[in-house]
Amino acid sequence: MSRFGLLLRNELKLFRTAVPIHAVAILQPTVLYLLMSAILVHPTFEMNVAQPTTDAGHELLEAMEHVGSPIGLPYIEPVLVTFDRGPVARQVVVVEDQDDHPVAVQYFGLVDSNLVKNYRNRLTAAGLRLWNEELGRQAVLVEEHAWLPQDMPYTVYFGMALLPMAVFVAASFLGAVLIAQEFEFRTILEYRLAPLSPAWILGARMARLLLLALVAGALVSIALGLRSDAWPDLPWLVALILLPVGLIAGCLGTLAGLLLRRTIPAFLVGLVASFVGWIMGSGFGLAAGFGEWYDRLSRLTPFTHAVELLFPRYFGAVIGRPALSVAYLLLVSAAMLAATVAVYRWRVTRQAP
Amino acid sequence: MEEQRAGPVSEEEVVAPAISVSKATRRFGDLVAVDELSFKVHPGEVFGLLGPNGAGKTTAIHLITGLLRRHGGEVRVLGSDPEKDSRRVRQQIGYVPQETNVYLDLSATDNLWHHAALYCQELSVVGNRIRDLLHLVDLWERRKDAVGTFSGGMKRRLALARALLHDPDLILFDEPTLGVDVQARHVLWEHVRSQQAAGKTFVVSTNDMAEADALCDRVLIIDHGREIALDSPERLKAELGRDIVTLRTSPPVQDPERLFAGLGVQAVSRSEPDQLRLEVRDAESIVGALFSRVATDHRLESVRIARPTLDDVFLHYTGRALRE
Repeated sequence: MSRFGLLLRNELKLFRTAVPIHAVAILQPTVLYLLMSAILVHPTFEMNVAQPTTDAGHELLEAMEHVGSPIGLPYIEPVLVTFDRGPVARQVVVVEDQDDHPVAVQYFGLVDSNLVKNYRNRLTAAGLRLWNEELGRQAVLVEEHAWLPQDMPYTVYFGMALLPMAVFVAASFLGAVLIAQEFEFRTILEYRLAPLSPAWILGARMARLLLLALVAGALVSIALGLRSDAWPDLPWLVALILLPVGLIAGCLGTLAGLLLRRTIPAFLVGLVASFVGWIMGSGFGLAAGFGEWYDRLSRLTPFTHAVELLFPRYFGAVIGRPALSVAYLLLVSAAMLAATVAVYRWRVTRQAP
Repeated sequence: MEEQRAGPVSEEEVVAPAISVSKATRRFGDLVAVDELSFKVHPGEVFGLLGPNGAGKTTAIHLITGLLRRHGGEVRVLGSDPEKDSRRVRQQIGYVPQETNVYLDLSATDNLWHHAALYCQELSVVGNRIRDLLHLVDLWERRKDAVGTFSGGMKRRLALARALLHDPDLILFDEPTLGVDVQARHVLWEHVRSQQAAGKTFVVSTNDMAEADALCDRVLIIDHGREIALDSPERLKAELGRDIVTLRTSPPVQDPERLFAGLGVQAVSRSEPDQLRLEVRDAESIVGALFSRVATDHRLESVRIARPTLDDVFLHYTGRALRE
């Protein structure tokens, strides 16, 4: 067996020294995605509608069924319910007769303002459709020019943007904890006296971190595919895009472990970096949509660059400047790797002054 | 065939010492941990660094490994400077630290493979070498068990096997039997001796006189980072030139100098109110006279005659016991 192969095999066996941390680091993003996808806004909304008893009620129901994006999914899936004016679950639409005029009345249960907005917008769209049918050629015509060839469901965007986060969390958590643990258990002495170049040792460590980080990313990708039927067109390219993100995270975690030498503080650095980077870096929507300054700031993180490179793989459209993003990821990876080697030499290999 | 103990190469035979330390100094702030320490370790010997806790033994070992930089003097290990040629020195030394730093969640075999990846030049022979070493330290049957289930002695034996895995010429063993039971320490000493017979050089740091006495060809006694004495344990004890007689009487002897005048007692101290410690040149020749003088006005409760130990050597040079 080659030395690198042996180093990597040993690295993988060290999994046994931190089983819970490995489980958290690898599974946590997938669990997060599955939980979030259950509560996130789906493009097609179920809307409770009281069983219509009038013509106007039937017309509104029909109009609701036709409301949707011109390039994708319907927006409303009406669910007929019996309404007895008691407490309302989420929302219900009732067509009432007020002064001989049919009026669509919307009753809300305990929902937040964002959901109220979503329910209201959909009902308004259905009302507009009815109104336009009445007006004939005098109707308000809305032309839509979609940027993408198909709708971008938020659950899919969220899952896609979670991929770099999954890789980052796994690599930074494990990188931080594993090296800090070596200091706490004093096993670092084995490395301190080793007559082997740090490049070999860190190379094997990074290979291990990347492998585990890609497993974490693959789990999110599979969950995304199964939950939303969204699969990347080129999975190998997705892995390639995520590699530098994992490398940057692995270096960051290892640096934290080397500098802090304590498991909990190093772990917290990985945690904070992962979540701040994810939130800042287009985790909840394309950074460009949040304003210029936010966009600029987000480009300091590897997340936005990774999200923009991943975007075509899930939505079939190129966004941002891919060449710039690739250059950023490669340059930051190289810089982080160089910094890690330097700090490793300082903290581990070099004699205490 | 019975294994021959190789023993150290004598001073006259030595061309190049395994270790040469000359006026080595190391400070930690205002504290001088190693103070112009000088000694040589001959190839094939078991050399002891003996001293109380905080004497500077581990610091001296770290200067030899190159883990610490010295603030003065010179250190040569197998002909190389551990600071300037650290990789070469590290290739040739095996280090068993004071705190056993093995991976508790890995098996004995996996711990050795981990070490092999970092230290061994020739990987094709590692499998056989691991098998031989695990047999040597009697851990072959437990090779697949997690090291966390091992006793303290077993962990030390594994640490020794690990230090030997890359076939170093020099092994630095910091407190070999710290926290190890009596039976296990004898097993460890046997392993050290068998490796010495195979030509290895050992530097053993200890504050255990019995260990230094049993194991070392020569010992360097250090205190406050300075050399106190350096020789074989036998010579150091012989240099004291006296035996120790410990008497317990009832009632306690009030004026021992007067009572034992003319018997050649060189020093008298009182370790307990009713217990006297006499240093005499030849205990056997005066013990009869001692008894008869004591018996005149006292009842002799107990008597013990002992040859000097390394603790007595330390006491002689520093005025305090090694474990104080």
